[in-house]
Amino acid sequence: MKAMNRLIYRHITSQIAVMAIALTMALTCTSCFGDEPDGCEADIETVTLHVASPGDFFFQTTDSMQTVYSTDSIITFSVRSQADVSALAPEFTLSSGATVSPASGTTQDFSNGPVIYTVTSQDGKWHRRYRVNVVPTVISVADTLSFDFEEYELEPVAGRFYQWHNMLGKDWATANDGFRISMGNAKAMDYPTTPLLNGYDGAAVSLTTRDTGPFGKMANKRLAAGNMYLGTFDIKIAMSDHLHATHFGIPFANLPESFSGYYTYEPGPTVQDFYGNPIANRVDSADIYAVFYRNHDAAGNEICLYGDNVLSSEQIVAVADLGYVTPTTQWTPWDVKFVYRSEVDKEQLANYGYSLTIVFSSSCAGGDFIGAIGSRLCIDKVRLICTHDQ
Amino acid sequence: MNFHHIMITIVLAAAMATGMNAAPLLDSVKVDVRLGYEVGGTLPTRLDNKIRGINNFDPGLNYTLAVEASLPLKGRWSIHTGLRYELGSMDVDSRVKNYDIEVVRGDQSLKGIFNGNVRIKSAQRRFTLPVQAEFAPSDKVALRGGLFVGYLTKRRFWGWAYDGYLREGSPVGPKIEMGIEPGERGDFDFGEDMRRWQWGIDVGVDWHFHKRWGVFAELTYGLNGLFRSGFHSVQPLHPMYGSLGIMYRIK
Repeated sequence: MKAMNRLIYRHITSQIAVMAIALTMALTCTSCFGDEPDGCEADIETVTLHVASPGDFFFQTTDSMQTVYSTDSIITFSVRSQADVSALAPEFTLSSGATVSPASGTTQDFSNGPVIYTVTSQDGKWHRRYRVNVVPTVISVADTLSFDFEEYELEPVAGRFYQWHNMLGKDWATANDGFRISMGNAKAMDYPTTPLLNGYDGAAVSLTTRDTGPFGKMANKRLAAGNMYLGTFDIKIAMSDHLHATHFGIPFANLPESFSGYYTYEPGPTVQDFYGNPIANRVDSADIYAVFYRNHDAAGNEICLYGDNVLSSEQIVAVADLGYVTPTTQWTPWDVKFVYRSEVDKEQLANYGYSLTIVFSSSCAGGDFIGAIGSRLCIDKVRLICTHDQ
Repeated sequence: MNFHHIMITIVLAAAMATGMNAAPLLDSVKVDVRLGYEVGGTLPTRLDNKIRGINNFDPGLNYTLAVEASLPLKGRWSIHTGLRYELGSMDVDSRVKNYDIEVVRGDQSLKGIFNGNVRIKSAQRRFTLPVQAEFAPSDKVALRGGLFVGYLTKRRFWGWAYDGYLREGSPVGPKIEMGIEPGERGDFDFGEDMRRWQWGIDVGVDWHFHKRWGVFAELTYGLNGLFRSGFHSVQPLHPMYGSLGIMYRIK
């Protein structure tokens, strides 16, 4: 009987081993999977403009290469006013296997407006159209920049949320781009950043801290503060490195002196922590500030401020911070002066060597996903007073 | 005493009862208690070229415990049924390209194309009732084929998309990178979306090499899919359990 049991045991263990080996082989044998499918993406990933004397053409030599966000379909090079843009040959890097027409490196005339490039995916099924602009730019010498938020529109691709333009050439960045990933079925007015029809003076902008729903919870990003800032939002790393997804600042050639506007602020009922648990006895607070900084370091590398250093970087030259935003349901004015920490290099200023950002957020700890759902900051009639170089 | 122990007790008690209370009418019924090693998991309907490779596969160490009976009908043919308690689990780490995903959560959905790595873990506990036609080419061997109905008392299906990127909506939609660590990657949990009731094909073979002892192999393949209808996850997946084990004839 013992011998029999041993036999049975040996038989079964060998059977199990055979089955495990068979399964493992079936699942690891790559030849089972067929040929690699062709790429289906159709992006311009970078654009480079090679010119004979970059110093006379670009404000900063680092301007010759641009990384293109996956959400962008308009690419703009702002170049010196005297630059000749009639014969330029931009070079592109594309999605793997994709092709572009007109081809990369062919000479085009940019003096009559944008040149349209069409990218086709490797599998031939997907296309993207890009408008590439090379714009000779006269530096604005306006003393006052006005942001009244009267002009806004649904984003053009899918019309799912609102976006705002301004006179600086770069749109206002908002959290709406990221919110749509977790709340793709939300209505445009349920996004964090929305227009407010009756503001202090005409339309205003409304920033509301929103619940990011089941997908937000799954990703441990349970809320999205309503925000709006001068800069760009890099959706590519919103998931993997969210603090660096907020790129603050756009090149700015004037000296900001003061920053004013009107606001209302109502904190939401309950502040929640990263895990969504309520934090007792804490009231949410908002952010209203502007930062002026050097956009290149001593070695000439381009510098951008992010969510984790926009108020602490050593590149900062001046800050205008409202500080504590007192809750109020009445339109309340603010007017704060820029406090300068260091001298400004006039030559660098004239060559867009400095950047400016203006930041509004309905929950100041929103970057850490801490805040109160429903906190609402409304902003209108923002003014930036500058002294321009004589 | 946990749930799992209670279930084993129930199955064993049923086996005992069947053995003791057999009515004269059922004199010819044969009853076996079975214990098997089970590889239980899920399989896509086809391994298409969007799955580029398997980084790691762990079928898990699971077992099935059953009491099954055969009622002879005519000649070499019998009808076979019983009750099985099965534990299934799986851990697969695969590499994908241009992989379509669509996830629905409440009134929200996330759709797109993923390139990168996907880790899927699953664990189920299932009660299964097979109904099979049994053919015995010899006294020792029986071939069985038929259908099963299963009910999941535990259903878990979770994992993460990592070290890659999602194109939201379509291949030309926004590109969102997924990192490796929790909080940077795309975690998912579809346990709630699994069907409780499963049904499908059940085939098996028994070999009685001894008066009471025998070995068996069993394979079940779910036809109604692992997830409830309307749920589009990674791609259609079907529950598949294979087991190998020993059996002891109690009657």
